[in-house]
Amino acid sequence: MKRRRFIQTVGAYAALGVAASLPYGVARMLSPHLQAAEHEHIPLPGALADADEFARACISCGLCGEVCPPRCVEFKQRDGGSDVNTPYINPAKKACVLCNKCMEVCPTNALTVIPILDVDMGIAQIDRAACYPWVDEGICGACVVICPLGEKAIHFTFANIYKPAVLDGCVGCGQCVEVCPEPSLPIRIVKRSEGTIAKHGVASRRRSY
Amino acid sequence: MQKSVENPSALRHLNKLRWLVLSLIFLMLVLLPFIHLYQTYVAAHAYDLLLPNEKLIYDAMEWLTGPFTNDPEHELDIIKGTTWSGTLFGFQLSDPLAVVSQVSASLSLYWPFILTGLIPLIVTLVLGRVFCGWICPATFIYELNDTLAAWMRRAGVPLGDKIYDKRIKYLVLIAGLVFSMLLGSIMTAAIYPPAIIGRELYYAVAQGAFGSGAVFFILTILFDLLVARRGFCRYLCPGGALYSLLGRYRLLRIQRVVEACNDCKKCNVVCEFGLDPLQDGFGQECNNCTACIAVCPTDALVFKIQFQDQAFQGPGHLGHAYRNQQTEAEK
Repeated sequence: MKRRRFIQTVGAYAALGVAASLPYGVARMLSPHLQAAEHEHIPLPGALADADEFARACISCGLCGEVCPPRCVEFKQRDGGSDVNTPYINPAKKACVLCNKCMEVCPTNALTVIPILDVDMGIAQIDRAACYPWVDEGICGACVVICPLGEKAIHFTFANIYKPAVLDGCVGCGQCVEVCPEPSLPIRIVKRSEGTIAKHGVASRRRSY
Repeated sequence: MQKSVENPSALRHLNKLRWLVLSLIFLMLVLLPFIHLYQTYVAAHAYDLLLPNEKLIYDAMEWLTGPFTNDPEHELDIIKGTTWSGTLFGFQLSDPLAVVSQVSASLSLYWPFILTGLIPLIVTLVLGRVFCGWICPATFIYELNDTLAAWMRRAGVPLGDKIYDKRIKYLVLIAGLVFSMLLGSIMTAAIYPPAIIGRELYYAVAQGAFGSGAVFFILTILFDLLVARRGFCRYLCPGGALYSLLGRYRLLRIQRVVEACNDCKKCNVVCEFGLDPLQDGFGQECNNCTACIAVCPTDALVFKIQFQDQAFQGPGHLGHAYRNQQTEAEK
């Protein structure tokens, strides 16, 4: 009899626990964790360096999106798992203009105000097998012209006037990605450790011969 | 009694004021994304390149905000955000639930953020759960939904009216904080209806489509409609739980004047949160919404400043039960 009472009590508490966590389970099921390509989901300027820490700090209020003048801040509206409703930038669609507004408005420590030259959203990486000044000596230079940081971030390689090369000063705002006319997107924003030259394609193979 | 019916107390009109406040806040949440769109169009300096519908938004917002500002791109930033977190004339305000959840998820105290929850916290300590009745944009929709349910019942549609234990929502709050800590994201933000509404309205207007939160919100509406009246607020809302706890020793309380009460029970029927004003059962979950004051035919419900509810004062002096007691006592 005592054991039955015990089992009933435990069962009742378990049912209560399930009832209490049911809304969270439903919300979680509605936003499944999908892995997006990293260069399509770059962090906002001034974001915490670690993506997990960012998800813990962001309260998903959407203020960063609501103040963004070019409307480049997007949100993981329907996917993301733990990252659900957190902001990201897809520079191929719309790039950050480094205006500082999102850093200033963020109520939490997810985005903090830092000098523009210290922003680290990633670094631009050029695929030299797709960028047409590199492939067939074409004439372009759009990325170099648009760059808000000028000579610190991207320049033409010496004596090859239209071939762009990214420098260490690049903060990864992605304006070069947005402006690039080549449909195969030879520039993307990647993590700083991956370097400024894509390690695949014809150009790198040619170097290894 | 007769006198009070002829000159109804001014408190009765508070419910209309509440509806005005609720509608205005909901309207603001709809307008702010459009204002943001307008600001981005202004910032782009390219009116001629806008699509026809974008031009429509531009013109409408210019007409709306034109009298107040000459520099829409920057000056309209003074009101931003939602009830979850926002800036209002330079003040940053956040929902106390956002603060609590963020602290439990990040396990660190970031004071600039915690202080943004201070003003709502003080308001809650003094006035009780007023957010739920007077500000929450979800309440606006839930009360309309409740009215719809009443009409459907009158038309003969059988709708569920289940009663559960109101303490479940405190468990939901605790579960939300624990899940936030374990899973590394602010879980309460995903299920808290006012946060969902602010966010989804912004998504729908400025980002082109609703997110998955809209589906969750529709589920809560169906739960309210088909299973339990105001079910989400009463039994599941983690924010309501937090506000109830904070408002337990609130200063301003609706109380019953037993001399004026006639036991008509209208207050119990109209109470969205299933409380029991007729037997002085207000408790920590009363949100001072004044719906019972508005419906009381004898003005027996008034605001009082005290830290605790009155104990049950017996049947109302204008009702049958009290009269029978008196006649029996006289015998």
